[in-house]
Amino acid sequence: MIDQQLAELSNLLIIVTIVLYVLALIGFGADLSGVTQRRSDEKLEKQKRESEGARAELATVGASAGTAAAAGGGPGGSTDAGTTPTRTATAGKASASRGSAGAATSGNALGARGFGYVMASIGAVLHITAMVLRGVATWRVPWGNMYEFSMTSSALIVALFVIISIRRKDLRLLGTLVMLPVLVLMLIAQTAWILPASDLTPSLQNSHWLIVHIGVAIIATALSGLGAIVAALQLLSTRTQKVRAAREAADRPLGRFWGPVSALTERIPGPEALEALCFRLHSLAFVCWTFTLIFGAVWANEAWGRYWNWDPKEVWTFVIWVVYACYLHARATRGFRGNKAAWFALAGFACVIINYTVVNLVINGLHSYSGLG
Amino acid sequence: MTQEDRRARKAQRRAQSREAKGEDAKPPRSERARRARDEQKDQMGTASTRDRRVAPEARDLRQAGKSGKAGASLPKLGVRGTLLFLWRQLTSMQTALFLLLLLAIAAVPGSLYPQRNVDASKTEQYISEHGSWAKFLDTLGFFDVFSSVWFSAIYLLLFVSLVGCVIPRLGVHLRQIRSRPPRTPSRLRRFAGFTRVELPGGDVEAVAARAAKTLKRSRYRTDVLEEKGGARSVTSERGYLRETGNLLFHVALLGVLVGVAAGGLFQYRGQITVVEGEGFSNSLAEYDSFEQGAWYDSSKLPSFRFTLDDFRAEYDTSSNEHRFGQPKKFEADVTVDDPDKSGEYSKTLRVNQPLHVQGTTMYLLGNGYAPEVTVKDPDGNVVAEGPIITIPSGDTGYTSQLVIKAPDAQPKQMAVVGFFLPTGVIDEKGPHSEFPGLVNPQLALTVYNGDLGLDDGVPKNAYQVDVSSLTPVADSDGNQSLVSLTPGESQTLADGSSISFDGVKRYAAFDIKRDPFQVFTLVMALSAVLGLVLSLFVPRRRVWVRAVPSAHGVVLEVAGLARSDDDRLVEDVRALAERLADSASTAADPSPSDDTSADSPSSDSPRPAPQTPETDSSQSKPSHEGPLQ
Ligand code: HEM
Repeated sequence: MIDQQLAELSNLLIIVTIVLYVLALIGFGADLSGVTQRRSDEKLEKQKRESEGARAELATVGASAGTAAAAGGGPGGSTDAGTTPTRTATAGKASASRGSAGAATSGNALGARGFGYVMASIGAVLHITAMVLRGVATWRVPWGNMYEFSMTSSALIVALFVIISIRRKDLRLLGTLVMLPVLVLMLIAQTAWILPASDLTPSLQNSHWLIVHIGVAIIATALSGLGAIVAALQLLSTRTQKVRAAREAADRPLGRFWGPVSALTERIPGPEALEALCFRLHSLAFVCWTFTLIFGAVWANEAWGRYWNWDPKEVWTFVIWVVYACYLHARATRGFRGNKAAWFALAGFACVIINYTVVNLVINGLHSYSGLG
Repeated sequence: MTQEDRRARKAQRRAQSREAKGEDAKPPRSERARRARDEQKDQMGTASTRDRRVAPEARDLRQAGKSGKAGASLPKLGVRGTLLFLWRQLTSMQTALFLLLLLAIAAVPGSLYPQRNVDASKTEQYISEHGSWAKFLDTLGFFDVFSSVWFSAIYLLLFVSLVGCVIPRLGVHLRQIRSRPPRTPSRLRRFAGFTRVELPGGDVEAVAARAAKTLKRSRYRTDVLEEKGGARSVTSERGYLRETGNLLFHVALLGVLVGVAAGGLFQYRGQITVVEGEGFSNSLAEYDSFEQGAWYDSSKLPSFRFTLDDFRAEYDTSSNEHRFGQPKKFEADVTVDDPDKSGEYSKTLRVNQPLHVQGTTMYLLGNGYAPEVTVKDPDGNVVAEGPIITIPSGDTGYTSQLVIKAPDAQPKQMAVVGFFLPTGVIDEKGPHSEFPGLVNPQLALTVYNGDLGLDDGVPKNAYQVDVSSLTPVADSDGNQSLVSLTPGESQTLADGSSISFDGVKRYAAFDIKRDPFQVFTLVMALSAVLGLVLSLFVPRRRVWVRAVPSAHGVVLEVAGLARSDDDRLVEDVRALAERLADSASTAADPSPSDDTSADSPSSDSPRPAPQTPETDSSQSKPSHEGPLQ
């Protein structure tokens, strides 16, 4: 039944993937530290450009009123940080210093970032191949236990990141923020949750709901993960802008923490664009969570004759859903728009993590499919 | 750059940053003034069909009760006013958000403490182990979170708030759907994607008509307006489905709640156990347990029967410690006799494959062993015979507990207590089973004598017996005798009673249930998703086109306003401008095929892009002549 050779090959590919991801992380990390170090060099350049920049900025605003959403939203938005005239909310200095980002991308950093990106891309291909092989080896979808679930969702996160940043090259700067959590997850799965390829337990057999329900759950988890990263960046970026404004007003240096952070956030889309991206990701994630919930209920009804029984896993899926509903609501509620809403998004992801770890491993319910009896 | 230009830019920058925060752009001052005029007109009963108050009103409804001012004027309001104030407060967005958050938090204890509705015996055990603290938690409802007063209060308030929120919005939306799009603002320059093109020659009316036609094709609701100076403008709006979706979503959530509640009232469910070869006919007496909703009429129990022909289980035999002994397959073959259908039919039930019969559904939920045992009392009378249902104790090896009560035994009542072991091992750990399959089936039993206490009228659990008041049968040395049997064996005890182990059968446990509202609930849930998708992904926007006659021909102005997150608006507005300019320049030879939608700007023929102020930032002139001419 189980093709052990294929399963072995899959395990091997996962190891190779992890190695590639480590290399990718090194590349992205080097790039990031390069970016933050070059900051001081740039300060000079920035001052030089400031006058030009200010003039250019006035011109770019022009008579056309682009919505801020246009700057950041989907792939239709502008791609190069050097030419985003729509990001006008932060006027003057900020946009001038961003103008120099284009110049900064030549040099070593591009090499390191490019290396990281290539490693991550190859890794993602091998990662997906490994999951497909695991599926073929067991002749079922490779998401029957926690190990497989982790490996599949991490593959999806990296794949989404690689695909999104094909066009939005500025997002590659965030490689570290994607690769680091993914690697942590994969290493935990590889050491603590790994199980040999095997058949499903009977309660998971004979049901296409396994594919539909868990497939959607994996997509939802991956989207929530990416969304949380973007929400965190949005908060960080806003905070940095505030700190920078305050320090500049007081004529104080940014210091050892805010200096590099500011160098980083200047190179990614601004808070408004991140907010728009955050919303996009979370609306997709919320739709997926809604489907996860409904398909889960339908499946529970098929398997146990109860579509909802408040089993711990069900409780937490409900909590996740409600918290993300809070996020969407908050965006439309006076006094919560923007950054306050982003905290709900982060809270939602915290619940996803709890649902994934504590509920699977500590609280025992009918849904105990970690396979780690 | 003129003073005016600079002011316009400033205003527009403000609008942008406001929009980025998710607020609707406040209309420019002139528009506000005009809006006020229109309102006056409406009040005076002019035949204006446009309902411009709609949008702000909707917002006010949601955001009413923003404490502050309303609170200060409270004393003047009187009873009716106070109620209105409270109602506004309850139906405000902030309250909804707060209640939602509260709902999420309130659900958490339901996963931390054992819940009666999930596992009653585990809950009682937990309470007895944790003393008075647990008792205190119990009075607060922490072991019945989802039926507790506080949890119910939160979700009921939320749904009241939902109703109070949705009904006014529904009215507003219905009116809006039937009204025409609002008038074109006088200064388009301040809106998104503003593009201005000078067309040589051409006719204002034709340009406007073409614009209206193009917008209509893209499913915009459009209106052509005559303006002063011979100008024409086209006002259009699309994306009403966004609000429709939002309302559908919220109403459908209500539907889900109704479906769940009605299901609870009209459903029933029960548990049965059936041994291989035996039958079941659907009547209350045959159920091990039976729960029914308050409004279910149990005299209407459907009258099907079935026989369990065979039950098969398969277990993992691989050497991995996590896998060994794990179940791989459970299957129950049944023959069903359904009076609604002619004749019997056979069916195999599996865990995810229930049987649907006469509006009820039967699920395979459990299984175990039923060893066939014959017990004779010291007089040689058969006091118990046949397959005895045993209860798996929860280990991987299916060590199962067996209890036989023989009240008819003479001279004293007898009880047999012990274990059935599918793959038996008796070592220093006592009797236990190492594998759930039937490799080496064994019975390890003790026999007791005494009064079983069955006659005092208190119902007793058939699978339990209290042996503390009974005396174990001893062997000739005076030790408690342990009966250990394999199939086919029998053993006679010192007192003359005997037990024989005749064979092993399996039994299956089924849940039978009927919920007439589950399809309704599912339909509601799916409608909610549909509404959600519409409300999240349909952009709501307005697009305006104005054609003003000029000395050289026509000046075309196009702009839009995003009324929701809409990252393609600028792109689409530009594409529309380009298309209109293009078709105007070929107006002598109007080709109808050129009417591609304004929302899919990908036109196959390469055209010179109209230079928009944004892309040519070196020029300070907002308009552009040239490339399109
Ligand atoms: C059962 C509880 C509720 C849940 C789960 C819920 C969930 C949601 C979700 C997920 C959205 C975003 C998607 C969409 O736009 O359709 C939303 C939007 C909205 N909800 Fe609710 N909601 C609930 C109750 C309420 C209540 C009580 C109100 C009224 C106070 C309300 C008013 C709104 C409004 C006005 C929007 C549109 C926001 C916008 O303009 O983007 N909701 N709701």
